[in-house]
Amino acid sequence: MSQGDVANTGQVVFAIEAFKRIHPVEFQRRFLSQETRHNGRGFSQFRATHVTKGTISTAQGSSTVRIGNTTVVCGIKAEVSEPDVKAPNEGYLVTNVDLSPMCSAHFRPGAPGETAQVSSEHLHRLFKGNVVDPESLCIEAGQAVWVLSADIVFVKYDGNVLDAAVIALTAALEDLQLPKAVFDSETGVVSADRTMGQGLTLRKRLFPATFSLIDGVYLVADADDAEEQLATATVLVVLDDNGHLVNIWKRGAGNISRETISRCVDDAGVRKATLTKELQDNTQKS
Amino acid sequence: MTRPDRREATQIRALHCALGQLSRVDGSAQFSLGDTSVLCGVYGPVDVKIYDEKLDRAHIEVKFRPDIGVPTTKDKWTESAVRQTFEQLILGQLHPRTLVQINIQVRQADGAVDAAAINAATMALVDAAIPLHSIVGAATCAVLESGAVVVDPTQEEVEQARSIHTLAFENKTTGSPAYVDSRGDFTMDEYNRCYDLCATSVERVLAFMRSAIESKVSKESKLSTT
Repeated sequence: MSQGDVANTGQVVFAIEAFKRIHPVEFQRRFLSQETRHNGRGFSQFRATHVTKGTISTAQGSSTVRIGNTTVVCGIKAEVSEPDVKAPNEGYLVTNVDLSPMCSAHFRPGAPGETAQVSSEHLHRLFKGNVVDPESLCIEAGQAVWVLSADIVFVKYDGNVLDAAVIALTAALEDLQLPKAVFDSETGVVSADRTMGQGLTLRKRLFPATFSLIDGVYLVADADDAEEQLATATVLVVLDDNGHLVNIWKRGAGNISRETISRCVDDAGVRKATLTKELQDNTQKS
Repeated sequence: MTRPDRREATQIRALHCALGQLSRVDGSAQFSLGDTSVLCGVYGPVDVKIYDEKLDRAHIEVKFRPDIGVPTTKDKWTESAVRQTFEQLILGQLHPRTLVQINIQVRQADGAVDAAAINAATMALVDAAIPLHSIVGAATCAVLESGAVVVDPTQEEVEQARSIHTLAFENKTTGSPAYVDSRGDFTMDEYNRCYDLCATSVERVLAFMRSAIESKVSKESKLSTT
């Protein structure tokens, strides 16, 4: 049916795509009021998530994560640097989320936008110390430490940046093989043997779950791009292996009660079980 | 358990608030929690860049400057958190196609800076007479290594904490938080304890804010009658 056809009843009938574009809120409301979502999922249903580790052979650690139509690639490059004078035993973890115009029309070329910067910073806050022990990145105190530069590049964007980024970085860190590095105190040179890789011991793994409040009433798990555009508030819950909480981050002033947040935490526990399975044995055979 | 500054675990630091200290902005406030002090200046509603113009509401912009050095991504994070808290709170529909700019300058940081920034922004918005749904207050709690929960931690306590919880509540009885940022390693039980402690502390902060606004208004009305 073409746009704006007048049916026999005299009502203006839109093609569904036109309706979705012209009245996005009303479009979503029609589904949500019937306890369903435009993508066919239930309110607390997450999209199918696939994790593949070791997808980039030139990086020391890498992963590709797909959450529905959101695809993200994470690569970790390890470099040697001098430590900070104030913390001679501590290495660095540098996180960088890249949301280029290639992955969605929401993002513009040039300097990183707010979403990218805020996600990078949030990842850094979540992982530094909590997951990666900075002291485990020390090669020689006061002389040389590892710098882990984690680039998290979105290839396809369909909502839920933080979940995808946290899963991708967790998987890439698990995949990480650091070359055996030796510091020569006479020459002051670090020599690394790339054939002798060793994994990094992580303090914990992180399992994220994001919930979005749409239209002030409906709380949906793992919102896609169309739903995210209408969300007034979001809740991010991050759990670790032991089921302890690592982060509860509620933004936006929608009404999310205390009980709802604790329900989100319970749902995040269910999500964690699925993710644990997905994170195991998914190394790409090379 | 004794805290470095000998406060009770449930005792917040001395609150201080001064309104309208800056003369070139539409509204300003300085808000202090003990040694943490934040200055906030608000412009609005003012001209908006065409790029940011919203047809049905005001565009809200937050600029956050740290006490030392130039703004980094850390400060971008705070800007985003503060903006998202106030976006729904400011009645932007009353001023479509305009800009409300909230400038926050940290003067002294000794823990709980995010909470102080939210409190300062509320007071500056009130001082600038920007229409709000409600005023909002924030408080921070820390769970220490020992498992003890302390409210309004100093920087020293923040560094020793296992988890940090910053919650903001509106001046309404809905009971749901406007903003939650809980980070570290904690259990649901610890979160609930921090939630309760923050909620009661925010009540005190909000009462303090109301009295600060009242005294400002009564002062102004006295001036206008004489």
